[in-house]
Amino acid sequence: MDFYKPSSLPDLFEIISRLEGRKYFLAGGSDINVQIKNKIITKEPVVYINHLDELRGVRDDGDQIVIGALTSYHDLISSPLLLKYIPFLSEALRYFASPPLQNMATIGGNLANGSPTADITPLLLVLNAELKMMSKSKLRIIPLNGFYTGYKQFDMKYNELIGAVIISKKATSGYRSYYRKVGSRRSLTIAKLSLAGLKKMSGEQIVEIRLAAGALNEYPRRLARIEDYLTSRIRSELDWQEIESLLSKEITPITDLRSDSEYRYQVCLNLIKQFVLD
Amino acid sequence: MSSARKFDARPKVAGTYRFLDDYNNIEMMHGLLFYARFDHGIISKIHLPPDFNLNEFTIVHASDIPGQNLVPEPVADQPFMADKEVIHFGQIILGIAHHDKKTLKDFSEQIQVEYQKQPATTDIKQCLEDEKNCFGKEILINHNFTPKSDPGCTYLHKVYYTPHQEQAYLETQGMIAIYDDQKKSMFIQGTMQCPYFVKEAVETIMGSAIRQVIVETSEGIGGAFGGKEDFPNIIAGIAALLSYKSGKPVKIVLDRSDDIIITTKRHPARIEIESWTDRISGKIRKLTVDYRLDAGAYQTLSPVVLARGVLHSFGTYNIEEAQIRGRLFRSNTPPNGAFRGFGAPQAIFAIESHIDHIARELGIDLADIRRINLLRKGDEMPTTQIIQEDHIKECLETVISWSDYYNKKARFEEFNHTHSDKKGIGLAIGFHGGGYTGNGEKILKSEVKITIDKDELVKIYVANTDMGQGAYTTLAQIVSEALSYPLSKTIVEIPNTDKAPNSGPTVASRTIYIVGALLQNLAYKINAEIPDNNLSSYIKNHPGQFPREWKLQFQPDPDIRFDDNTYQGTAYKDYSWAACVVEIYYHCQIYQIEVKNIWNVLDIGRPVNRKIAEGQVEGGNIQAMGYALTEFFYKPGFGRMHGFTDYILPTAFDIPEINIEFINTSSPIAKGLGEIPMDYPAPAILNAAQHALGRNFYELPLTPENIFQVLKSSHNTKIAQEDN
Repeated sequence: MDFYKPSSLPDLFEIISRLEGRKYFLAGGSDINVQIKNKIITKEPVVYINHLDELRGVRDDGDQIVIGALTSYHDLISSPLLLKYIPFLSEALRYFASPPLQNMATIGGNLANGSPTADITPLLLVLNAELKMMSKSKLRIIPLNGFYTGYKQFDMKYNELIGAVIISKKATSGYRSYYRKVGSRRSLTIAKLSLAGLKKMSGEQIVEIRLAAGALNEYPRRLARIEDYLTSRIRSELDWQEIESLLSKEITPITDLRSDSEYRYQVCLNLIKQFVLD
Repeated sequence: MSSARKFDARPKVAGTYRFLDDYNNIEMMHGLLFYARFDHGIISKIHLPPDFNLNEFTIVHASDIPGQNLVPEPVADQPFMADKEVIHFGQIILGIAHHDKKTLKDFSEQIQVEYQKQPATTDIKQCLEDEKNCFGKEILINHNFTPKSDPGCTYLHKVYYTPHQEQAYLETQGMIAIYDDQKKSMFIQGTMQCPYFVKEAVETIMGSAIRQVIVETSEGIGGAFGGKEDFPNIIAGIAALLSYKSGKPVKIVLDRSDDIIITTKRHPARIEIESWTDRISGKIRKLTVDYRLDAGAYQTLSPVVLARGVLHSFGTYNIEEAQIRGRLFRSNTPPNGAFRGFGAPQAIFAIESHIDHIARELGIDLADIRRINLLRKGDEMPTTQIIQEDHIKECLETVISWSDYYNKKARFEEFNHTHSDKKGIGLAIGFHGGGYTGNGEKILKSEVKITIDKDELVKIYVANTDMGQGAYTTLAQIVSEALSYPLSKTIVEIPNTDKAPNSGPTVASRTIYIVGALLQNLAYKINAEIPDNNLSSYIKNHPGQFPREWKLQFQPDPDIRFDDNTYQGTAYKDYSWAACVVEIYYHCQIYQIEVKNIWNVLDIGRPVNRKIAEGQVEGGNIQAMGYALTEFFYKPGFGRMHGFTDYILPTAFDIPEINIEFINTSSPIAKGLGEIPMDYPAPAILNAAQHALGRNFYELPLTPENIFQVLKSSHNTKIAQEDN
């Protein structure tokens, strides 16, 4: 396994355009180091990037908030900008990981690791967050919603890097927000499932709703069929059997050491109901 | 009641206190335990990986053992290392040492074991169901039991299950062995509860190959909870063998996943109870208990756990007719071992849950059913031991009024009528016999030593270890108070079998109760020998008389008898008593119980150090909460847990309000404390859950998934949606 430490951002792009095939970017190390230890990563080159401060920090950019990929969870939690514009994200972040992990783990690393249980992804999905993908010669902005294509599969080229996450300052204005992480305990827990939601109501009518679930599919995903069904309906006239059958097409919960498929399915339904009817 | 600060708190926080892995020397080799990854099989060949220089490694196998390949235990049936046959996952096959830790790990990961697979029992529930898995000596207590049924009684027959529990000490198991070829002596240093057990184990495996074994603990022992009672024997034995063969010091420190996979756990239990209760008075007339433990693949110390479990299985109740049966069951899983409570948490869980089911069946309040049946002064236990005190009644009444039990119960029921989330309040009582069971202390004959130096230091020599529970502070405090001598000049020496007499193992809530009492009496003896009753000035005035040494040995009370065959007599001279109320909140959306409040009222006699005593109660409560709600080690179809990602311990955020009160604090006796706070909270949580949900539960842990299954089976899947 070869290690690289670029001297600068241009040097980084130089290195990664030169190295062929899959490579891993080592930022906070909270996932990569474990994967190296457990021999999941054995041959691929590892490029250290955590010293490239250009990729760090939460910045005010007009009507957008731009979060550098190397921004740690600690920095996200303590960001006044996030607290001001997306307070529900700031609040939710407090229950992620332990303080040592919050200090080390980065938002870019979390997204690029592509874990089905990643806590932040459902939140960013309902916020319609975008990713700034960077390479030596190209910069492209893509919706996070299209980034994952399968279990640890991404719309990302081998010479690309997630540079930043972009969220509109108005992402939640006019919306009611919802987030619930269901774990085995209150902190230091891997989600059995999670649900994030935003909704806009006009009286009893659901004008717009976004729902994203974590730990229920190969990657965190928007529940598009349910969103479609709910949109513009009157809350009291919903057919919950229909929603239940749509949900069964939308999620594929598994049974593992941590939880059971049936439980995950039922709780997901309970949470959707709680949010929609609340 | 003083609250002297734990002297080790500061150095532990500062990181200067030394735990086992902090001891190093240049010569030292790293050792590793290579273990079976299958449940049952006959080994035909072990293939060592080809790409390594074998000369750099020291490898030991059962055939290298100069002494006996049997770990000394109450039933010595477990080999240090498997020879041909492996009968449980995690059974040690080889000990391997190398100078480089990483090379050692790479090497061991590439070893291939060829074996013929044999049938294995790994599903614990199935194992405990099938009587053909029964092994070892059965315990039977019959107290006036007549099988004829009583028409005025309600008959209730239930089966209760409890799971494995992992001790989850912060510092994993570890041992250093240093062989001296010239003296033919073996020095062992490690993280352990019982230095003299380790000494015997090393003597057993090494046989006549060596002349002397000295065992010393590391300065700090990072938790144990029973997990370092017997497993250290095995690591010490293999480390000694590796050091003997290599001629180098060898250090084995288990990594977390190995530690979780191969070391002992709390015994899973299946406890079947039948009761006949008078419909009018609520008095339990008859009781039968069938108490079964999964011992794992070997008996080891399980018979002793079984004994304590059986002796706590009738609870704190006065029952005229009782029949209690205790049996061990064999499975192809690692031997289970000691864990805080030692059979009692399982027993008390079952009996306390059963009492609740009786109360619900008869429509009697949970507090009242206990009042009606409580063991009172003058009552006889099924063992014929006569109760000498009414402290359990005082604990119960105090906790009921202090927690505002009746008002809360009514308020919660009102809340539950109008909310889909639910509140519940539960009650449980418990007891725990201090010290070794039956004739154990008589046989142990513990001895303690105190020396006083010219430099005015009072040194305490015991074989009991401080694994974080504060024993060294508390023991020093006992001596310092008895001698009226400054605590700062009273110290407990790190246990070393060459210096400290055998004061017995650090188990069974006996360190303060037995060893502390011995030290107190020895200190009084010293006082009596110092004429002017002022130790400080006496030492100054009589320097010629120091250093001086005093010893004292345990003298059993001649009036106390226990029959090891019939289990009749005094099983424990002194019991600690406790009552507990638990308040929970049930989150209906996610089927999850949150413990909000725990009230403990305990009679532990005199709490020597109030802060340390409270710490023990808090820790025990939290461990019991994990036992009740989240911890399980084995899931059928998915195997066993490998680490703390999946084995769910409570964290600081999960800890409820814990309220603690001690009664009977002016007692001259400091009774057992370490275990009792683990014994009773789990059934209190369970019966709070029953109160909240109106459903009966019989099995731990009450994970959301298990609660969901129970509710679903009662055709109640829509419970979360009812009132939305």
